[in-house]
Amino acid sequence: MSIIKLSKVYKRYKIDESIVFTALKNVNLEITNGEYVSIMGPSGSGKSTLMHIVGLLDGATEGEVFIRDKNIKGLNDNEVSSLRNTFVGFVFQQFNLINKLTILENILLPTIYSRKQLKFNPEKRALELLSRFGLKGKELSYPNKISGGQQQRVAIARALIMNPDLILADEPTGNLDSKSGAEVLNLLDELNKRDKKTVVVVTHDKEVAERARRIVNIRDGEIIKDSYTK
Amino acid sequence: MARYFWFIIRSAFSDFRRNKLRTFLTSLGILIGVASVVLLIAFGLGLKKYIAQQFESLGTNLIFILPGNEFQKGGSMSGIGMIGGAKFNYKDVQKLRSIYGVADVVPAFIKTISVSSSSETKPSSLYATTANVFRVRNLEIDLGKVFTESDVKKRSKVVVLGPKIADDLFDNKDLAVGKIVRIGNTGFRVIGVLKPKGGGGFGAPDLDSFIYIPYTTGYMFNPDKNFFAIYLKAVDSSYIPLVKKQAKELLLKRYDENKFSVIQQDEILDTVSSIFNVLNLILVLIGAISLLVGGIGIMNIMYVSVTERTREIGIRRALGAQRKDILWHFLAESVILSLFGGLIGLGLASILVLFVQKYFPAYIDLSSVIIALGVSSVIGIIFGVFPARKAANLSPIEAIRYE
Ligand SMILES: Nc1ncnc2c1ncn2[C@@H]1O[C@H](COP(=O)(O)OP(=O)(O)O)[C@@H](O)[C@H]1O
Ligand SMILES: [Mg+2]
Repeated sequence: MSIIKLSKVYKRYKIDESIVFTALKNVNLEITNGEYVSIMGPSGSGKSTLMHIVGLLDGATEGEVFIRDKNIKGLNDNEVSSLRNTFVGFVFQQFNLINKLTILENILLPTIYSRKQLKFNPEKRALELLSRFGLKGKELSYPNKISGGQQQRVAIARALIMNPDLILADEPTGNLDSKSGAEVLNLLDELNKRDKKTVVVVTHDKEVAERARRIVNIRDGEIIKDSYTK
Repeated sequence: MARYFWFIIRSAFSDFRRNKLRTFLTSLGILIGVASVVLLIAFGLGLKKYIAQQFESLGTNLIFILPGNEFQKGGSMSGIGMIGGAKFNYKDVQKLRSIYGVADVVPAFIKTISVSSSSETKPSSLYATTANVFRVRNLEIDLGKVFTESDVKKRSKVVVLGPKIADDLFDNKDLAVGKIVRIGNTGFRVIGVLKPKGGGGFGAPDLDSFIYIPYTTGYMFNPDKNFFAIYLKAVDSSYIPLVKKQAKELLLKRYDENKFSVIQQDEILDTVSSIFNVLNLILVLIGAISLLVGGIGIMNIMYVSVTERTREIGIRRALGAQRKDILWHFLAESVILSLFGGLIGLGLASILVLFVQKYFPAYIDLSSVIIALGVSSVIGIIFGVFPARKAANLSPIEAIRYE
């Protein structure tokens, strides 16, 4: 079952009056439920741009985006925000935690913006995620008081709090030493295998990319290769 | 829902905690504005209360008959209208006594004079009147006694002194009773000294410096036998309109309409307070200007805050915040910021008022508190809404890519 599908997607940036930069060219990509996909390419190839479109943070200039076979074209800003809230969990290279909020508050943030009555106790689930990720007792600390690896695990907990189907990770190990990087990657593996989440990892690192079963190679905004390993 | 607002407020406070100095400086404008508005209202109220107390101390259910028609128009108390106004006499007093609903009639001849004891000479106001003045105008005796009907009949050369003039003439008012004072060439025996009434200041007459004598005795300073004013005391307040009406009708038979005024205490109070209301309005306007400046300060800082926190806005949007969530967030912050200034301003004003209360009956009532908090919230909303809208309209992707 298709969870996300991009059809003939273009993304163009207007640099000035006469210059238009095309960051994505004719991207066709379908990801099915439960897949573990990496999007690999050199810096500036358009990986983040692609991830932002998949994660509904940005719109395509041209082409169609389907979420579970539903075209998102007709959705208004509130509906798109709600999808970001419930359908996707983001993990960024720079962690993107809010430093003035505690670890617990950071993890709870998506639940605050939920428009639906939550079917779970948010604090309880947040504490469960913290202990699962080896961060028990850190809930009242602040993000800048813990290590990068710990911060990224907090970010993953935050991405999971609303129990989304899709986890999007943009260079999740880019700011980490190799040991914490490996821990984070193991976690992402586990989310795919144990929690049955669809995981998309964006990276320029071949080694990172090869953890996934499917690797999508992108260069200068175009998918040049889309293949399965093993 | 409660969780949502709690989170917004909690989040706003954590931001202020990180920027303590900036938060304080930003709310300073509101603080000063609110403090000055509250102080002005407190003093305005105090002034009104002070004046009301002054009138109250004159006696209750009183109706004043005065020359001229200045008061009738509710205009100024310049007294210009009194010149060329009616000159009342004892016949008027007798006629007014027959009015239904009148309990007492008190005529008054008032003259500025010079009074001497054996050692001192002082300026004072002579108040020649009937014996019931002490009852009607709540003048209580402290030492000795007041003059009586029989003193009036006999034209006794006796005086009752206000406590201040008694002190001035005799070092100590306790020594005054039984002594002789001279007004012009005539000697008068001091038979009593009144309790203090206060008054004076703000151009009001200093009741404690008056010298009271029987009106018949007073004719020696008043060869035309005129009275400056006549006071009527109604049986109770419900009779006031009736008494006024009858008094007017009666006097119209004797004087032109524009030569006299029949007014009640409240109307004088209204005239006085309308003057102070104008003054108050000007002062409140000054407060409003500082609030405006404070509001602009908040708007400025909120714009800075939106720019500084672009990335945070992007993160929140990525996690599912809608535009209105971001709007609420920043609006709550500016309102809290403004309320914070308002509360401190209110506190500061309260401390000042408490301090001043020893000398002046200024006070803060519930409406000042409501105004202070209401005004600061409204300022927070008005000046916060533009920066908040800017924040809400940031595109999520630009915000999250913002370095
Ligand atoms: N808002 C923008 N305006 C203009 N160019 C942009 C903008 N965002 C991204 N780009 C350009 O698009 C290209 C792809 O960027 P990005 O998707 O971030 O690459 P990657 O994540 O693969 O390093 C880059 O050349 C970048 O400079
Ligand atoms: Mg990138």
